[in-house]
Amino acid sequence: MAEIIGNLKSSKKNSHKNIRIDLTPMVDLGFLLLTFFVFTTTMSEKKVTDIVVPNDRDTTTDLICESCALTILAGKNNQVYYYEGGDKNAIYKTTGYAPEGLRKIIAQKKALVFNRLKSDRMILIIKPSAMSNFKNLVDIIDESVICQIKRYYLAELNLADRKWTD
Amino acid sequence: MPKIKIPRKSTNVDMTAMCDVAFLLLTFFILATKQKPPEVLAVSPPSSVSSKAAPDKSILVTMTSDGKVFLTLGDDTKKAAIIDDLNATKQLQLSPAELAKLKKSEFIGLPLNQIKSAMASNTVISPDKMAGIPTDSTNNELADWIRSVTNAYKGGNQRDLEKMLLVKGDNNTLYPVFKQIKQAFKKNQIYKFRIVTNSEDVPKDSELAKSAGKAAEEK
Repeated sequence: MAEIIGNLKSSKKNSHKNIRIDLTPMVDLGFLLLTFFVFTTTMSEKKVTDIVVPNDRDTTTDLICESCALTILAGKNNQVYYYEGGDKNAIYKTTGYAPEGLRKIIAQKKALVFNRLKSDRMILIIKPSAMSNFKNLVDIIDESVICQIKRYYLAELNLADRKWTD
Repeated sequence: MPKIKIPRKSTNVDMTAMCDVAFLLLTFFILATKQKPPEVLAVSPPSSVSSKAAPDKSILVTMTSDGKVFLTLGDDTKKAAIIDDLNATKQLQLSPAELAKLKKSEFIGLPLNQIKSAMASNTVISPDKMAGIPTDSTNNELADWIRSVTNAYKGGNQRDLEKMLLVKGDNNTLYPVFKQIKQAFKKNQIYKFRIVTNSEDVPKDSELAKSAGKAAEEK
């Protein structure tokens, strides 16, 4: 009996109790999710960068002044080799993808060509090796965008180049 | 003298309305954001300073880190035409039901000679079991696909097509894979296309940053 009375009492009590729930944590959760979605949607937007590949069928030979050219070889293990001028008697030097490496070299060459010819005629020749990865290629193209190089060519390695990259 | 009772107001604010607003906005944003196009496989693209946004409709070539090539035909208006064209030019002899199934698939990652059997069977091949589109120099099937793409867009502006052609590659994809894709495009007289990248900040003091600054000043 005592139990029943107790139950009755408590049920009575409950009916008097305020049934309003504190919604603050729910609001917090709502806004948290809201902020999350707003941020992720704007940030996940993919970007694209243009790439131009040389037209082999175009038989009109494009004359490049030898002193305007800078050739960059992408080797394995993120190693970069480069030489200035033509590929005969080229002096190969090595560098890396860090800004103080590749970007500095491109910028210096560009300034050199501009000072000598008073026009922006520098040409970048990019030769990725079979062991270089896609990131290396995009990095080099990106550096040419950063340094505002007007023209670049994607070329294949020759025998002398292979000695260095392999 | 009777005391004046100042009614004590509760400091509790009714949160229901605020909760409603929060969830209303939440639902709005979830529904309003475009659903991401299905990712073929886990690919982490390299980053670049480019700020051009990827187009909504695209012909996407994906290279995975292990060198497999997949094709996603993202333009629904032309997808059917591209597949019909390929079926005709490469004599795949797909039945209407198989064609319809192929058109429904989100991406293509099988050699041409496996497509018919894969479309005829009911089992679904998971993307990591697919062989990818062959791109060897002797058997560059991607070039056939790209030819059908160019056929489907024939008469349109070449520039517009170039803007839609995207190549997405993993950081660790080796260069020869890209070279073959480049070759496939070149065979179809396409010399300009785009690479999908993550965005990166323009380094300060670089030429690009300076010229961007100048352009902003002139405006």
